[in-house]
Amino acid sequence: MSATPLREGPVSPAPVLSRPLSLEANGVSKSYGVVRALVDVTFSVPAGEIVGLLGPNGAGKSTMMKSILGLVHPDSGEIRLFGRPVGADPVSAKRQVGYVPESPSLYEFLTGAEYLDFVADMYGLDRSTRRERIQQFLTGLELAGHENALISGYSQGMKQKVALIAALAHRPRLLILDEPLNGLDPRSARVTKDLLRNLASRDGVGVLFSTHVLEIAEAICDRVVILNRGQVVASGTVAALRDRAGLAGSGLEEVFLTLTGTGDLRDVVSALAH
Amino acid sequence: MNLHRVGRLAGILVASQMRSGRSSSDPRSFFGRPHAIAVFDLAAFLGAFAVVGWGLRSVALGSANLATLANDLFPFLPLVAVAAVLIAGVMFELTNTAKFSGSDAANWLPITPSEYVAASSAAIAYSYTPAIAFLLGGLLPIALAGGVAATYVLCAGLTVVGLYEGGVLVEMVRATTQRASSFGSGRRGQLGILFRAALLVLLILAFDLAFNPVFLLGFLQHFSSYGDVTALVPFLWSTRGLSAWVSGDRLLGAAFCLGQVGFVGMLVYLAGLLRVRFWVPAAAEVQLSPAVSARGHPFLAMLGLSPAEAAIVSKDLRGFVRRREMLPTLVVPVVLIVLLIVEGTALGSFGSVLWMGWVAGFFALLLALTSVGQERRSFQSYYAYPITARAVLRAKATAVLLPALVGAAAMAIVVGVIFALSPFVIAAFVLLTATGAVLLTLWGLVFAARFSDFQDRPRPQYLRPGAMLGAMGSGMILLFGVLVPGAFALLGPRGTASAGLVVWTLGFALAAGALAAHWARTGFERLFREIPF
Repeated sequence: MSATPLREGPVSPAPVLSRPLSLEANGVSKSYGVVRALVDVTFSVPAGEIVGLLGPNGAGKSTMMKSILGLVHPDSGEIRLFGRPVGADPVSAKRQVGYVPESPSLYEFLTGAEYLDFVADMYGLDRSTRRERIQQFLTGLELAGHENALISGYSQGMKQKVALIAALAHRPRLLILDEPLNGLDPRSARVTKDLLRNLASRDGVGVLFSTHVLEIAEAICDRVVILNRGQVVASGTVAALRDRAGLAGSGLEEVFLTLTGTGDLRDVVSALAH
Repeated sequence: MNLHRVGRLAGILVASQMRSGRSSSDPRSFFGRPHAIAVFDLAAFLGAFAVVGWGLRSVALGSANLATLANDLFPFLPLVAVAAVLIAGVMFELTNTAKFSGSDAANWLPITPSEYVAASSAAIAYSYTPAIAFLLGGLLPIALAGGVAATYVLCAGLTVVGLYEGGVLVEMVRATTQRASSFGSGRRGQLGILFRAALLVLLILAFDLAFNPVFLLGFLQHFSSYGDVTALVPFLWSTRGLSAWVSGDRLLGAAFCLGQVGFVGMLVYLAGLLRVRFWVPAAAEVQLSPAVSARGHPFLAMLGLSPAEAAIVSKDLRGFVRRREMLPTLVVPVVLIVLLIVEGTALGSFGSVLWMGWVAGFFALLLALTSVGQERRSFQSYYAYPITARAVLRAKATAVLLPALVGAAAMAIVVGVIFALSPFVIAAFVLLTATGAVLLTLWGLVFAARFSDFQDRPRPQYLRPGAMLGAMGSGMILLFGVLVPGAFALLGPRGTASAGLVVWTLGFALAAGALAAHWARTGFERLFREIPF
């Protein structure tokens, strides 16, 4: 994989056809007692494509992402990373994945630099490479100058930036990003979005991206997968979903609300306004 | 000072403490309400009253004897209350994170520093009242039968004052350690970090010893040739006042008792000043030069650890000296060693070897038991990293063993110097304590892999309480299975040091160690199948 400078500006997505799959989830189910968090979930993330994983709160997005990384063990179904079952060689598989959890739990007693150094050790990055890459990210995300302060003193946005750098520094082939833009300032959010587009189109990185901000999903995702109550209720390009929902000309928000059965909110708004 | 506000805040702080336990985390539960402590107090008081009262009826002791017994006990009760709250407070209260202890809120709510100190001290004191209620309940039948009820009432009042005094002192330690934890933050490099950790340990040790009745009274005895010096030590005014009261000098007694109350008032004022002066709402910044963080871990690599394992060890060691909630773990062995140095000659060389071996093993067990749970939710990162369960186990074992083995060697040398042991015996003693430390490290990891508690709580517990008790009990049995025959082999009477004892010690350590290593490995493999929270 070649070096990827942090460059702003949109980049056209690469052609979708005949791309190898970075991630395949086939019939994945997971229950917590009587709660069915995932029900027969099937979707894939081709290399070089950004796939948005959308759904209301509690739809199962985070559980799905955790299942991919082995944080959660599915009850049934199969998850393949780069064509191999995730359990076959989990260490090798994880070496090629970058993950940003929904609420990053960083080691607050470490400085930002120490934490990134620790994560780089986990991924086996050599010292000169890590220094160069981490510095590049620190500068790009405007964290330079703060890296030697304890993480406990960071704002939420700064912690999110550290988590993003930790996920990106080893140049993964697949990114699993659970609400990665949470707390980021507009400039850093823009840099991150453009960076993801660059990584996907230039380096063929597959990206699974969860967000509640549908404008962001519409702007950067090649395809979206909509989960509701643990089930995939729709998947495809935004245009295809729009047609399917019979909402030609509408935004993703209308499509999402229709497909998840939460479309008519007028009564709710009216009640709250009184 | 708005007493209503103080009362409300104290109630919130007590509830926050009570809900830190697993069984009481449900706010609707009876055990999650401050009133529960009052019920415990009443139960402890009445229980002790009934048991001692029944005992007095079955044992014929004259009222004069009972009065003497009560009068002997009364003066020490307030001092015991101060020491108990201070020691327990240092052990348990300082581990509270600001997020849960309510101290953050005090920075932005309309509460004055003195009000916060008064409320927090009351909350701490209130949490420890059942033990004192038990003592007072047991003492009441003795006082009634001895006809010294009035003195009992005075003693009970001063004991409550002592409880509160202990709470205020804990607040002072909290504020001062907060300052100490940011003191020297401009110093670069590992020396600055170690300096700060050492300062914190010394500070807590000084507080612990200064209010330890045994240590304090022993210290004052050195000055007894200069007359009664207790009048010069305000912390002892309750004791002095009660002694004067029971010996008939009521005026002097009352003066000292009132002086004690006034002194506690002054402490509250001082604690408020300390909070204003030393409380640092913002996190301390530790400056490290980039060269330090980029130089790798050559020493750990020499031990055969992979870069990822070395990174975990390095991270854990940093956390160990930087995190305030780990301080009690550091303080315990230091206090035990100081006590040995003070009392070492009384224990003799055999007792000292056992004591030091126990301290080293206990320290290793404590570190190992908390090594997984102390990461709390950050532990989930390991599941995403390309690292195996065995690698994490190796790293955790190394992170515990490094400080434990260094401590064990240091303690062996201390004992060797105190008792002028031969270099051979010292070397064998180092080996013995190290063996105990390794065994208990593995044993601790067996429990840590299975019963760690990753929840964010007001009072972090890291391991489920039942498992902690089980691990401590079984760990001590294992440790003494190694230490006792080993110490006999080293220092027993001539002829005792048989080859059999040496073989038993090594054989037992190897067998138990192999079993513990196997269980630790399977435990970590099971732990890494799915995130446990």
